[in-house]
Amino acid sequence: MNREVPGPRILPYSRVVAQDELKLALELHHVVPRIGGVLMAGPRGTAKSTLVRAFALMAHGELPVTLPINATDDRVVGGWDLDALIRGEPRPQPGLLEDAADKGLLYVDEVNLLDDHLVDIILDVAATGVLSVQREGLDTAKYLSFGLVGTMNPEEGGLRPQLLDRFGLMVTAETLDATARHLLLRTVLDFEQELGREDSAWLSDARREDGRARDRLTAARARVGAVDVPDHVLELCARAAERTGAVGQRGEIVAVLAARALAALEGADRVTPGHLRRVLPMALRHRRPEAARGDTFDWEPDDDARLQDLFEG
Amino acid sequence: MAAVPHVPHLPPASSDPPPGDGTAVTGAAPYGDPAHRLGLALVCAAAEPALSGVLLLDLDPRLVEPVARLFGAVLAGADEPARPPLVLGAADRDEDLWTRTRIRGGEHGITVVTEPGPLAEGDGADGAPPLVVVPDLARLSVAGMRAAVQLLGADLVTVERGGPRRTVRPRARWLAVCRGADAGRVSRHLLDRFALRLPMAGLRLPGPGAALAEPGAGQAGEAEQALLAGLPAAWRSAARRGVRPVPVGDAAIARAQELLGPGTGVRRELALLRLARTLAALDGRPSASAEHSDAAARLIGVAVPESAPDRPEGHPEPLDPAPGPTGPPGTLPERRGAGADSRPRARDGGRGLLDTGPAEGIGTAPGAAPSPAVGNPYPEDEPAAVRDAVPLSGPRRRTTGPGSTRGTVIGTRRATDLRDIAHVRSVREAAVHQRARRTERFTVSPVDLHSNVRAAAPERVLVLLLDHTCRAGAGPWPEVLAPFLQWAYTSRAAVQVIEVGAADAADELRAGSFTARGVLDPRVPAALHRRAGRATPLAHGVELAAQALRRLFRRQGTGPAEAWLVVVTDGRGNVPLRVSHTGRPAGEVAATGVEDAVAAAARIGAMDRTRLHVAVVDPGREPYGDLPYVLADRLGAIVVDGGRGSGAEVAGG
Repeated sequence: MNREVPGPRILPYSRVVAQDELKLALELHHVVPRIGGVLMAGPRGTAKSTLVRAFALMAHGELPVTLPINATDDRVVGGWDLDALIRGEPRPQPGLLEDAADKGLLYVDEVNLLDDHLVDIILDVAATGVLSVQREGLDTAKYLSFGLVGTMNPEEGGLRPQLLDRFGLMVTAETLDATARHLLLRTVLDFEQELGREDSAWLSDARREDGRARDRLTAARARVGAVDVPDHVLELCARAAERTGAVGQRGEIVAVLAARALAALEGADRVTPGHLRRVLPMALRHRRPEAARGDTFDWEPDDDARLQDLFEG
Repeated sequence: MAAVPHVPHLPPASSDPPPGDGTAVTGAAPYGDPAHRLGLALVCAAAEPALSGVLLLDLDPRLVEPVARLFGAVLAGADEPARPPLVLGAADRDEDLWTRTRIRGGEHGITVVTEPGPLAEGDGADGAPPLVVVPDLARLSVAGMRAAVQLLGADLVTVERGGPRRTVRPRARWLAVCRGADAGRVSRHLLDRFALRLPMAGLRLPGPGAALAEPGAGQAGEAEQALLAGLPAAWRSAARRGVRPVPVGDAAIARAQELLGPGTGVRRELALLRLARTLAALDGRPSASAEHSDAAARLIGVAVPESAPDRPEGHPEPLDPAPGPTGPPGTLPERRGAGADSRPRARDGGRGLLDTGPAEGIGTAPGAAPSPAVGNPYPEDEPAAVRDAVPLSGPRRRTTGPGSTRGTVIGTRRATDLRDIAHVRSVREAAVHQRARRTERFTVSPVDLHSNVRAAAPERVLVLLLDHTCRAGAGPWPEVLAPFLQWAYTSRAAVQVIEVGAADAADELRAGSFTARGVLDPRVPAALHRRAGRATPLAHGVELAAQALRRLFRRQGTGPAEAWLVVVTDGRGNVPLRVSHTGRPAGEVAATGVEDAVAAAARIGAMDRTRLHVAVVDPGREPYGDLPYVLADRLGAIVVDGGRGSGAEVAGG
């Protein structure tokens, strides 16, 4: 009954226009998976889903494990293969969480529309690292670890603070200016036209660029373990988190991991305050008290102003 | 009445002939004619998968069926019968849409077969794409809306439900109908997924003999057959086989951006350009130009300035229109022959597909009065549009109340009838006993059957509208509101809190809102103690309350049995509704904020009161101490004295 479709038709990662912060967050997470996930928020039509799929194709050569909003819980935690059951074979069927643990990533499109009981299941597994299934004659417990990548349009509702906190980084899609919009339209229309061609130089160039991006990420992953994090950067991070009122300590930890990944991506030997400054909004914006209430995710100039003197000099 | 348009022709500039039997797609009736626009739009949607969603605004409900049949016939082509469409409505559940379970009785017991459901079965199959019809988008179930969001315009969709596990590339075309006035109630996220949106208020289908028929008149099937016969063979062929995307020039992109304006979303621009590209392909052009963007805009009802746009070099100026129309507006053109002679020539001095009729009056049939909504494919952009909050999310569910066949499955139990069978549990139960039964085939006996236990929806809801700027002089809110909070606590009511005028509001010009499972949620007491700010977007708060109530009550089968709306305010709104919607203060406010709040309250006052009670808590502030009473009058509310902290009712609403 399981069926696959050939060849996804997703815009190549290297051809996705703008949205640099979204791309950076995905790349940082790829370099240091312990960051624990990325949440992308933005208005409709800002290429959030496209970007996630394009990144997965570029980095892993396959689409991410995707949790649709109408999934049933037996598909999430695992259950029985119904076809086999009907034939009289009691064959367990792994759930999406196990698939995600194998591939390291669980992608939830429209994560804010996910049913509460599925959110609870994901939260339990993400928080404890254990998937325990005691239902329908199944009796299993497995250690699982995966990163969560979610996309959402805040117009359609928010996320509970517990789930927000499970996403290591949060980024918001940028609004494009007229020039960038024109380029975006040009790119998408060109891509759709090139799809019909057997030997498309446009697609070949894009694949080559994707290959270079993959090599850059692979090199950064290999290098990141050797990147040093000086004490003064750690102190800066703690003070920044204190000033923004970030709830819990996960924000500081993620910020340091992300800064380290950024240093590795840029080929640096040690993390500098500049690296940290760049990733702080991603790590802290959804852990501020106002974000926990669902009021806003935007990182405002006031937030920058609160940190300004920490990074001066 | 719309002006009778001309039928001009464009010179065929392409060496790439249009698909099909050679019938030119130019020479068709122009865009001032709703029937022509409808036919062309359906052809484009069939030919281009990226235009798979068609939303008809203000279509006469009696025309939904013939238009659906027409679309089905366009998709099927001339050589095969149209497939029956899948019709979605208010009662559809995820369980019905994505999987289909058949339980068959046999000599050896019951056999369960689980197959892809109606939304997934047509993908990956041969033949014409399936057609999904939504007769009223505003009343589509949440499951249906969520399915539409997942499927429309998606390249890949993953289905992860009990039974089939599939990743599919959606092929279905969607035809949805929505009243323009209801557009605000539909998620903008969902509306955005419909690439083709056409105002169709004045559409009339041709009756026998090509005469215009009143909606609903005539024999079933005649109208769409007449329309179908009016579609050129080349169009029908292109619709069946698809068109190859042609290049889109920069001028076309710039023109599309200009036509839609700077604040529009990328999806709308892409949809317009994809439509322009498809029109160019149907017209046999090698590329899409700014003219095609104009044509696409006119097709969907976007106003195009009368002055000719700057045209790129190499594209001809439109020629003088040819004299005379081909027929009355509201009907499709006569079907032309397939011979080369029927193809319009430059020397004919006409234009064809790219002909542009007057922007005003588009979609208005003869005799129909022009309406302000006609011609606007984006009615949800209107500031006055009433919007539902998070319409794609289902309501919070609780375990109280009677069992329901809707809602989240929270367990299984032994079945007492064949409704809502838990298939996996039943089959698993049967599997356990197979060896003991010693039957030749796998059998499911009645004793194996289990049904789902589902969480029930909340039966009672408390909606609190808190105006923090009236706190001065009032009694302590927890005390004033105690009777209502106690009612919510004892009845385990869900709580919707809407706040205006808080000092720490994220946006002081807009009301904030959250939903809590009950009064014990820590956010509820926190909301009772917030500091007052400066702005009072009371009108926006009342509008949010109206949306919340409508959303609660419209859910058939899961709506609350009883709801209280409690408004704590002195009535002194100082933020007009338009300012709340746009986020931009504009000029002097005067009494507009108050007037908008009273107008918004009237919508709540008009709601059915069999399950809704409303109270206004008056803090007793002066001057303008009568404002809470005015508001209560419009709300149909009782007034509670909040100044003394006693919660005593002082007046009837």
